[in-house]
Amino acid sequence: MGKVLMAGNDAMAEAAICAGCRSYFGYPITPQNELLEYMSAHMPKAGGVFIQAESEVAAINMCYGASAAGARTMTSSSSPGISLKTEGISYIAGADLPCVIINVVRGGPGLGNIAPAQGDYFQATKGGGHGDYRMIVLAPATIPESIELVMLAFELADRYRVPVMVLADGMLGQMMEPVVLPEHIDPATLPVKPWAITGAKGRKPNLITSFFLDPVELSEINVKRQARYQKIEEREVRYEEHETADATVVVAAFGSVARIARTAVRMARNEGIKLGLLRPITLWPFPYAPLRALSQRVDVILTVEMNAGQMVEDVRLAVAERAKTPFYGELGGLVPSPRDILREVKRYAS
Amino acid sequence: MKTNAVNLTETEYLLPGNRACPGCALSLAYRHILKALEGQVIVTVPASCLTVLHGMYPVTSVNVPCVNTPFPSTGASATGLVAGLKALGKKGLTVLAIAGDGGTHDIGIQALSGAAERQEDFIYICYDNEGYMNTGNQRSGSTPLGAISGTTPILGKQQNQKDMTAIMEAHSIPYVATANASYPLDLYEKVRKAKAIEGTRFIHVFTPCPPGWGFPYSDTIKIGELAVKTGWVVLYEVEDGTFRLTSASESIARRGNLRPVRDYLREQGRFKNITEEQINELQDWVNARWSRCLDRATSL
Repeated sequence: MGKVLMAGNDAMAEAAICAGCRSYFGYPITPQNELLEYMSAHMPKAGGVFIQAESEVAAINMCYGASAAGARTMTSSSSPGISLKTEGISYIAGADLPCVIINVVRGGPGLGNIAPAQGDYFQATKGGGHGDYRMIVLAPATIPESIELVMLAFELADRYRVPVMVLADGMLGQMMEPVVLPEHIDPATLPVKPWAITGAKGRKPNLITSFFLDPVELSEINVKRQARYQKIEEREVRYEEHETADATVVVAAFGSVARIARTAVRMARNEGIKLGLLRPITLWPFPYAPLRALSQRVDVILTVEMNAGQMVEDVRLAVAERAKTPFYGELGGLVPSPRDILREVKRYAS
Repeated sequence: MKTNAVNLTETEYLLPGNRACPGCALSLAYRHILKALEGQVIVTVPASCLTVLHGMYPVTSVNVPCVNTPFPSTGASATGLVAGLKALGKKGLTVLAIAGDGGTHDIGIQALSGAAERQEDFIYICYDNEGYMNTGNQRSGSTPLGAISGTTPILGKQQNQKDMTAIMEAHSIPYVATANASYPLDLYEKVRKAKAIEGTRFIHVFTPCPPGWGFPYSDTIKIGELAVKTGWVVLYEVEDGTFRLTSASESIARRGNLRPVRDYLREQGRFKNITEEQINELQDWVNARWSRCLDRATSL
């Protein structure tokens, strides 16, 4: 298949269908409406189920049901809607179910606005919902990568039986880029899920639950789950380094900001400043080790985000005192320009 | 005294320069709702077209205080406002919860039902443009059978709308009414009446949406009138259990002829793909409700 021009929201919806997802549940909220609308038109054509729920709470728990039945399932929303979904996400994690959630982040807190932002980093990577659970969080920086990461999200969700979030933003949802769509995965070819609730003919009935009254039993289940999380941390860290080999200053940024920072790197290099970029692709598990390694050979790691400073806490955890770790953020749905980033870099570049 | 164009207050609480679309029926309805409450009101609004109409802080063209509340919470927010005013001993203010059909029929029904069951003391107005219009027109629990929307793009919606006014009447609240932006004086009188009653009061206001429904901006009033003339909307009120047809619906009941619902449907782009079968189904639905209303209208 050749290149087609697609908006991020449409592309992420199509990627889910390509990944063999045949059940999608959503609810209107800007700036992710196009994803919902794309699914309403294309999911039925693919022989799948599209349901517009009566609320975000309903949509995530429809995913809970579909996932319990063994189906690849997805919901999408934007920041306030994700807040409503968090109880459901915790239940899904607590019942060890795979599920893909797309967050097309907007400005917050509260109703905020509909501009691109990254203020949901903490919510996505540090829980959001209640209890000891983790969620794999994938942060695309381009539309082609959004497609790739939605496909990957389904694979990881099934492999580890965990919820996986794709953390996009209003810019990635709305902008268009040429993309090449991947081959469709036939859902019939996906591995069988022996734990799913499919009717108990000829076997013992399965139970999908996160409810364990006995503290010893709940503790054992949690310890096992934590071991699985540790495996994810060991195997699934993804990141990209750009022009870091000779860098003295490195920008750490994810998603849209990383994309903008790439231009800042080029501008800096034209002026003789040795600037590099480290872009976490998985926000959980976070690339602590690569940052630690980098901090041993650069002077400054400048974190740039569209929030008041969230990922910077993980950067500082990784770097400790080995390098300076300043922060530059834009709030309220403002998007930094390459020039803005370069200006900040110059404050630290010797 | 019956309200007319002469004795309607000239004071405006909704000023020009708001962010509503041209031809917006909500704009017209809200103007008369605020006139009826004489500005002595605290408004609570969830995510909806009205949030946008109210403007973005610190710029607003609305002259009454307003709380912007989460989407599922309008009934709860109003409950809290009433409790807060009571706790502070403040009297003489009406709390007005006003939400769209998405915020009422769908995501807001739990909070509204809870508040009505507790008989909380506020007016709840649902302005119904039969879809999620603020997010670009997706189907809601109030979108009619056969209507095309962003999420019913090909065949149109396959289910008919839910009767929210009937649901609210089933809560045994003291006042339930329907209204229509094309009949502003009827709306005005109903809000005046509701203001004087204590307890949860619910008014459903029909507000045609030119861009969402696909009719010219200049036809908003005509579409609202056609809705009443065809029985798509019935104007009535139920006060302490007593049902009464009002305004144009009362006149039609006395004259006794509704126009075919087809006359209403064909004016709107959203019904361009509707089937004959669906039109008949909608006509049967309209007929059945009209006949129930005639049965209940004991004063005719």
